[in-house]
Amino acid sequence: MSHPNFEAQLDAYLDGELTAGDVRTLETHLAQCVECTRFRDRRLELRAAIVAGIPTFQAPPALRDRIRAAARTGSALETKRAPRRFTMRTLWRPLALAASLAVVAIGGWSLALQHVAGEALADNVLASHVRSLMPGHLTDVLSSDQHTVKPWFNGRLDYSPSVYDFAGRGYPLLGGRLDYVGGRPVAALVYGRRQHVINVFVWPTTSGPTGGSNQRDRQGYHMLHWTTPDYTYWVVSDLGLAELQDFAQLLRQADSIR
Amino acid sequence: MESSALARFEAVVLPHLDAAYTLARYLMRNASDADDVVQDACLRALKYFDGFRGEAGTSARAWLLTIVRNTAHTWRERHRPEALAVEFDEREHSEAIAERDPEAKETLGRALERLAPEFREVIVLRELQGLSYKEIGDVTGVPVGTVMSRLSRARARLQEALREEEVR
Repeated sequence: MSHPNFEAQLDAYLDGELTAGDVRTLETHLAQCVECTRFRDRRLELRAAIVAGIPTFQAPPALRDRIRAAARTGSALETKRAPRRFTMRTLWRPLALAASLAVVAIGGWSLALQHVAGEALADNVLASHVRSLMPGHLTDVLSSDQHTVKPWFNGRLDYSPSVYDFAGRGYPLLGGRLDYVGGRPVAALVYGRRQHVINVFVWPTTSGPTGGSNQRDRQGYHMLHWTTPDYTYWVVSDLGLAELQDFAQLLRQADSIR
Repeated sequence: MESSALARFEAVVLPHLDAAYTLARYLMRNASDADDVVQDACLRALKYFDGFRGEAGTSARAWLLTIVRNTAHTWRERHRPEALAVEFDEREHSEAIAERDPEAKETLGRALERLAPEFREVIVLRELQGLSYKEIGDVTGVPVGTVMSRLSRARARLQEALREEEVR
């Protein structure tokens, strides 16, 4: 592959816009070109910086009301504008962070509140899942190659999560993401099933009983949770429960023979 | 508007209002102009809604964003012709920002605001709203190949800005 065209090609690759044939050509080239690999890594860093540093905005409620009113009356909106409005910056990330810190505070409080903390953690995991579904938030590293996703976490986390590709079983790996759950940075691995997204949150088990598992439903999402002596897992999706349990089973099997 | 069409408009178009507002914010670079542009765009969307036959979801979003993008362009020509002129000289524009706020330091958001509109819009559409190249081509009225090269050039510029930010 010629280098002059490489930057745009690589962008298209990371955007998931290359044809399968071009992907193969490019991955072959990447495997043997240090310069291009470095270029790719810088682009992934840029993507993370954009997610962290460039906000999306919410339409001001007054604007939404005016538009809805205009649709209802069928008449043109008043030409008179609303008074110049303040900036509606998105408060999502600070709020999410505050929620996370609240979870830490609750968790550290006392054993009596452990159940509450567990529920708060589930809320926290669910919020991360929902947030990941917003445009542009799903993956920091977009790749169906487990050998690309796993090393991506090096230097970003103090552990190395196991990454599998279950494409052969109908659950292709879509990529990975650095997330913040329960007061710590965690790995979120993203798998797909038809049009459904499955988020797998995984972090090292630090305390408490292991081996248990449970399932809960919230806001139309299924959440599966289990712990092993090594890792704590949360799996969240709007996929049907039977299929999600099938996926979780694959994950447990893969982990047990690791 | 009769009630079934109204229900359809509310179900199909209004879910994308935040996306529309975000695009307008980055195209107009201030909140009050963005407010005006989105309002005008939605009026047009209402007017032409009968002509819209797309499925709910992504294509409705692309349709609304196309209208927002075109409205923003018209609006700038009509109300802020000087803003168009300024954009031909990015350096001059960045100095104008520096004059307004001498404490301002380079950030990624600022670098995005300084990009020429055709670069700024592809970044917003791709990175913030996750549109496909095809959809971005539809919204901006250029071929997919042009989308691809604009995105790549825009990212290269943001990357420079990021490096400068880190050096500081």
